[in-house]
Amino acid sequence: MDIFKIEKSKLKQFLDDLSKKYSVFVPAKQDRVTSFKEITLNSQLSTLNSYNTDKPPKDIFFPQTETLFTYDENSQLSTLNSQLSKPIAIFGVRPCDAKSFTLLDKVFDSEKYTDTYWKERYKDALVFALGCNNPLSTCFCNWVGGGPFNKEGADISLIDIGEAFLAEPCSKKGEEVIHKLSLQKATEDDLKKGNQLKNEAESMLSKPVEISSLKEDLDALWNSPKWEEIARKCLNCAACTYLCPTCHCFDIQDEGKSSKGKRIRIWDSCMFKLFTQEAAGTNPRPTGKERMRQRIMHKFNYLVETIGEFGCVGCGRCIISCPVNLDVREVIKEIKKVRN
Amino acid sequence: MKEWQPKILAFLCNWCSYAGADLAGVSRIQYPPNIRVIRVPCSGRINPISIMKCLQNGFDGVLVSGCHPGDCHYITGNYYARRKFAVLKTLLEFIGIEPGRVQFSWVSAGEGEKFAEVIKKVTEDVKKLGPAKKLVKI
Amino acid sequence: MENIEKQLRETVKKLLKEKKVDLVIGYSKGTLPLHSTPVFITHEKDVDNLIFDATCGNNLAKYLGKSRKPKTKNRKPIGIIVKGCDGRSIVQHIVENQIKREEIIIIGVPCDGVIDTRKLEEKVGRKEVLKYQVEGEKIIVEGKDFKNSLKKKEILSDSCLMCKYPNPPVYDIFVGEPVPVNENRKPNTDNLESLSPDKRWEYFEKEISKCIRCYACRNACPLCYCEECFVDQSGPQWFGKSPDLSDTMIFHIVRTLHTAGRCVSCGACTRACPTGVNLAPLGIRMEKEIKDRFGYTAGLDTEATPPMADWNENDKQEFIM
Repeated sequence: MDIFKIEKSKLKQFLDDLSKKYSVFVPAKQDRVTSFKEITLNSQLSTLNSYNTDKPPKDIFFPQTETLFTYDENSQLSTLNSQLSKPIAIFGVRPCDAKSFTLLDKVFDSEKYTDTYWKERYKDALVFALGCNNPLSTCFCNWVGGGPFNKEGADISLIDIGEAFLAEPCSKKGEEVIHKLSLQKATEDDLKKGNQLKNEAESMLSKPVEISSLKEDLDALWNSPKWEEIARKCLNCAACTYLCPTCHCFDIQDEGKSSKGKRIRIWDSCMFKLFTQEAAGTNPRPTGKERMRQRIMHKFNYLVETIGEFGCVGCGRCIISCPVNLDVREVIKEIKKVRN
Repeated sequence: MKEWQPKILAFLCNWCSYAGADLAGVSRIQYPPNIRVIRVPCSGRINPISIMKCLQNGFDGVLVSGCHPGDCHYITGNYYARRKFAVLKTLLEFIGIEPGRVQFSWVSAGEGEKFAEVIKKVTEDVKKLGPAKKLVKI
Repeated sequence: MENIEKQLRETVKKLLKEKKVDLVIGYSKGTLPLHSTPVFITHEKDVDNLIFDATCGNNLAKYLGKSRKPKTKNRKPIGIIVKGCDGRSIVQHIVENQIKREEIIIIGVPCDGVIDTRKLEEKVGRKEVLKYQVEGEKIIVEGKDFKNSLKKKEILSDSCLMCKYPNPPVYDIFVGEPVPVNENRKPNTDNLESLSPDKRWEYFEKEISKCIRCYACRNACPLCYCEECFVDQSGPQWFGKSPDLSDTMIFHIVRTLHTAGRCVSCGACTRACPTGVNLAPLGIRMEKEIKDRFGYTAGLDTEATPPMADWNENDKQEFIM
């Protein structure tokens, strides 16, 4: 496949063109927090150069609060909220997050179940994944089958080579789009540089821990007292799950008065006691131990069973955001230690 | 167009302020019709959550009224309330809620006149502030 | 500081050896630079993991609330390593009957303040710090292609800069030399109070709109030990669970009210926040109000009556008609 080049001097123009047909999201910094925001006239693109966003991009397709429908006493019918004027394009998402979209897609759009809200946003979305020239010490994508320049989940894969981005289409959708944009082809030198950056970045990552048998390890560990030890310092907040690009548990709530209201779907977290609180007063996951186990099991065991992959892309956000520095990599190592 | 009229919720304690309101009524003392009354056993019963819930649900003002210090039917209920309200009021003002939105008063069963005055004042204050926006849930 | 760590380890080793405690809660090195992590030490051999420095920002009193309190064998006391603010939180726990004084052995350490990593990020830019070193009043941070020397004062938590109690008020063993107390410091939110109510609202609106309702603040708070938080109640459900501004603002207002007169302004909530919401001013304002109005400072006296569970005939009532 041909590889193209987007000059950085023309980036603004490129994104403007793109936003005629797409709602374009780029990493943006607002009040000290970086997240993906829809591009506007004053959008600063400088955040592209820095490392991954504080908040994951999952909320573009799976917003923290989603109105499922609204009702009021005057209209008989409640209205399903369906409203995309343009398809979504995400520019500068990192390979780990691009991969997270494919995992979430398997959950929300499987043969058995289809979530129309997710599907409507994701099916036509265009993902420009930007390779990581400088992975962080918290990145562990290489543990879970990813890499700083992986293309999984991307329609167009980008490499920052200094004055330009190399753009390689890696899906049919991506190819169609890129051919319509009159872009220059990359030269031999550019490609060489891209390759070199890729090798450098890969060598920056720490050596991965072998986790191919993690599912079996966990199967054997369900009743282990080890969980208590692992969960001991956990505060049971949801920083890790809400900042995780693949966590997708939700709650449904009705809000409003008798005459007018809405049904919303909001993120929920297995770290909360309320998550499993039953009406009769019992709770199958009464303490932090069970909740921590659930989180790890869901990511590294249950999802392997249901979608055939780990539910973790190794972005490291949970490690950075944890108030007590409970490092998931350490948890994995502990689990392996018990088994051996 | 009709002039905008604020909606104000008044929590009145059963033993003093509610009786004060009653006296204002039977004495035919005029006061603005902007209040909706909820009778509570004691001003000490008021949980700040109730006040927040009022502001969230679109009340433009909230008044809590109880017995004068020393007159509480439960001896000390209003003393505890006084501490709670002091802290609540400071915090709301610190966050930027207009001071007149949430008000407190002591009205005894014999103070029908004062009750009407309090309601007049609260209504005027809230009218000046205009409709509540800050904590209202849309 | 290295000296402190050495003494600390020896003290803990001795306690474990003499079987005065089965368990000591302290800090060990985190997996990230500038982060420490709480550690539960039960064996002498693990004692060398203990550290104490400016990265030890968690308030360990969190682990002493009734529902969290670790069970120890033979009902021996729990050893706990505490800074000034942690120590005050423990005093509050004792006042509020969460734990008995004799159930714990308090190992006090002097604290110069802890680092706020958000402030650090503002100083060095969005770069990953890989190494740091403390040299007197300076902290040298190093990353892949930079090395910065920062004044410690610039990156300490706001709460620490206002802290008047760097040494725990109550302890069984004190390790190291107490930090001299700066009497001029006091809870201060003047910069916000000089603004108009609308401007203040704007400020808090901006801060609170960053909140994602992960409850890291609440769960890191040593005093938020309720079995069921009011926002988690579902019968009736008081407030919505989405990050709607009204619901979120009310959550923070009510949480502040619930900790009024108990909060020691340790700043653990602000440091725990993954989206950098600055919650500290709320607690600081309350601490100031409680001090001015009721003459009470939280966390100093184990025999005190909590101010919100108390009253005085002469309490000021200038705001009541």
